[in-house]
Amino acid sequence: MRFFHNTHFQFMKYRWHWIAISTALNLIAIALIFTKGFALGVDFAGGTQLTLKFKSEPDLTRVRRALEDLKMGNVSIQRFDEPALHQILVHLQNPKSEGDFSALMLGALEKEYGGAGGQAEAEHGPGKLELNLQGADALTDALAQADPDSTGGTIDEKRAHYKPMAADVLGLRKRAGIISGAAELSGLTALSPAVRAYLGSNAHFGDFALLAADNVGPVVGKDLRQKATYAVAFSLLGMLVYIWFRFKLQYGIGAIVANFHDTLITLGALVVTGREINLPTIAALLTLVGYSTNDTVVIFDRIRERLRLDRGKPLIQVMDDGINQTLSRTIITSGLTWTVVLALFLFGGDVINTFAFVLLIGIIVGTYSSIYIASPIALGMSNWMDKRRVAKRRR
Amino acid sequence: MKGKLTWRWGLILVVAAAAVYFMLPLDQKIHLGLDLKGGIHLVLQVNTGDAIRAEVDDTMERVRADLAEKGFAPASIDRLPEGDGFKFKPAPNTTPKVLDQVISDRLPDFTVSRGVEVSATMKAQVVRSIKDMAVRQGLETIRNRIDQFGVSEPVIQRQGIEGDRIVVQLPGVDDPARVKELIRATAFLEIKPVSRVAPTEEALLATSGGKVPEDSEVVSGDREDMEGRVVSHDYYLLKRASVITGRDLRNARRSQDQYGQPAVSFSLNPEGARKFGAYTGAHVGDQMAIVLDNKVRSAPVIHSQINDQGIIEGSFTVQGAEDLALVLRAGALPASITYLEERTVGPSLGRDSIVRGLRAGLVGIALVAVFMLFYYKAAGINANVALVLNAVLLLGAIGALKATLTLPGIAGVILTIGMAVDSNVLVFERIREEMELGKTVRNSVALGFSRAFATIIDTHVTTIVSALFLFQFGTGPIKGFAVTLTVGLAISMFTAVFVSRTIFEAVLSRHPQAKSLSI
Repeated sequence: MRFFHNTHFQFMKYRWHWIAISTALNLIAIALIFTKGFALGVDFAGGTQLTLKFKSEPDLTRVRRALEDLKMGNVSIQRFDEPALHQILVHLQNPKSEGDFSALMLGALEKEYGGAGGQAEAEHGPGKLELNLQGADALTDALAQADPDSTGGTIDEKRAHYKPMAADVLGLRKRAGIISGAAELSGLTALSPAVRAYLGSNAHFGDFALLAADNVGPVVGKDLRQKATYAVAFSLLGMLVYIWFRFKLQYGIGAIVANFHDTLITLGALVVTGREINLPTIAALLTLVGYSTNDTVVIFDRIRERLRLDRGKPLIQVMDDGINQTLSRTIITSGLTWTVVLALFLFGGDVINTFAFVLLIGIIVGTYSSIYIASPIALGMSNWMDKRRVAKRRR
Repeated sequence: MKGKLTWRWGLILVVAAAAVYFMLPLDQKIHLGLDLKGGIHLVLQVNTGDAIRAEVDDTMERVRADLAEKGFAPASIDRLPEGDGFKFKPAPNTTPKVLDQVISDRLPDFTVSRGVEVSATMKAQVVRSIKDMAVRQGLETIRNRIDQFGVSEPVIQRQGIEGDRIVVQLPGVDDPARVKELIRATAFLEIKPVSRVAPTEEALLATSGGKVPEDSEVVSGDREDMEGRVVSHDYYLLKRASVITGRDLRNARRSQDQYGQPAVSFSLNPEGARKFGAYTGAHVGDQMAIVLDNKVRSAPVIHSQINDQGIIEGSFTVQGAEDLALVLRAGALPASITYLEERTVGPSLGRDSIVRGLRAGLVGIALVAVFMLFYYKAAGINANVALVLNAVLLLGAIGALKATLTLPGIAGVILTIGMAVDSNVLVFERIREEMELGKTVRNSVALGFSRAFATIIDTHVTTIVSALFLFQFGTGPIKGFAVTLTVGLAISMFTAVFVSRTIFEAVLSRHPQAKSLSI
């Protein structure tokens, strides 16, 4: 079985059409970037972001009100992952200073939802147990202090006795994300009946659990922006120099123009969908650049080989041949990689969703550009350089 | 030919065995990043200005005390607004000799300019060394605290050699709020004589004419009810000079007071015991205050001479007492700490990302493998063997290099696998082309590999070049991506060119006269 065998498409003939379409798409992307702007995530915009899981569908206005009371800056809330998981992302612009803002935000939410300083403390005093926020150590300590099993002995012996039980409770939270109530503890085999009863009447299961917290202050934010810029700029430059060295300058420029083309269009897609730009997004964009360059280099390689074999053939013809001869490889590789990325996009979860999205768009654009952008640019530059050389000789 | 094949197989086996050795057992050899395992990453800044200020205050107090002792108490003495020095107005009758003496005794680290007022600014090189010391001491203290808290594989490093930032990474921590408190607690313990106690500041200072005496300070403390809720505040007038500080401690541990409530007991080193014994012996019946981070924790009355130990009481939970004992043991921070960056990943999110990411990745790769079999038939088996070997070698390399696998790192793995498949596709398509031109099977295979080789090198090197720059300039996730990508590409060249070729050669050596190839 073979796909795209022995094709003779005239890719170059219509290059101006494709260049026109691409230019239009790029202009649209640039316009979008400047008008609508990027949704910069915490990494670059700074601020504090909490990922929270609620027991039931959270009332967003309540969350918003609790956080606006902190007067720290703009609050933005969005859903995280599937609706059935009741997870949200809460992003707060920090005041222009450094500090532990995630603790402040959590404190405000706990107060609103009856954790520390709220319901749990009112019911159980300051030594309260908040099983959706505290860790295994804290639970061990609390059990050792209350000693529901009446083991006696020193505190350390008691701690050793209650430690596996605390680990079991935390394991439940690890698997489920949040514990909805004391009833769920009945499935835990490590708990003694007395401990289960004690937790049933003394533990508080808050309405939310913390899945992740990110806080980037102004100093680190500036650092991250700077380093990401350097990383991207130098890696593009490195590629340009290598392709220049291995092929010719005009091919290097063709590849770089194609890279910019792919990146711009993908960025445009990110703006349209309102996805946040974070460090992993940059890693995804770089993956796309690597991928697109890979594709371009394969075609250039074949063109270089054909140039050696078919001396005297016009460059435009040789380029068409090169692209046609590698077409089946281009389609197969792109198709396979795209399949993998599609699987990641559909089933990979929200943490890598934006990553997969960038590649989902990027692979299509990157494959297209290595055929319709990189080669035509290299062709145009070659023709222009030839003309100049001829003109020089005439003078 | 046969011999050549044998060493090729040998090399592949050795490499594969090494990889398996380095990757197994997976959960011990492959270190997962915080984003996958859960945990906390903090970048904190040591506010070195605090240490400078403390040093300036200390010197200022000594100068004042020296002059006062000789009967020339300065008319005024104040810290400079910049915080790195102070100025004082000597009493008009101060003799130059006394002033000279005090300056040469107490201010060798300061640049002193004398006029109506004397101003002393700390020398730049002294400022630098105090700051450096503060960061190093902060690093040491935090390390002590983390060690005692018992986190496995913590990373605690200074960022940059001269920097005032410290990076702390604690994998698997399930209670980030507690750890953050523990790291940041200054834990500066002082025991000071109490002059007076009153429920308001005005009442406290009423007898001294509303002014705080020169040698004293006002510190507040919480008054709590039986359940430990704060009901009101007390104000204490304390002598500035401490009897002992946290530096005089030998040990501290959680214990119980006489009612069985959690408390923290401490013991003193010989020097501390001498000072404490002398003071408590001379002041039986007086009240002293246990001040922690500028807040009065408790203010017991001295019943008898205490030599080398004491207890801090006052509504602790077991955890609170445990944490306080821990930070007292580990030592006080020389300066306060500000969090510049925090990345906390809860254990459930990390677990969820792994499970879903892996499942999706496996589905994708399985689809690729099925396609390769379908499209390239027997040669597809070859490609799939190379693919599996690629994954094994990559895990082995990550284990051997002790690299950390992060989510972007997995993205790097996926790109690598994509490129490994691509290399196989390049070779196979080339072999097909050559066979179409009527070449023999053996020739086609040889030509397919050699012609595709240049392309494979080019695609891999371009990507490695950019990955190296990413590694150099990237931070966190970008770096993780660059590592797996670079390593993966090197491996992909090996599997796609060397391993795949060996399999072809092995098949062909069995059927030397083969007229067709299943590709």
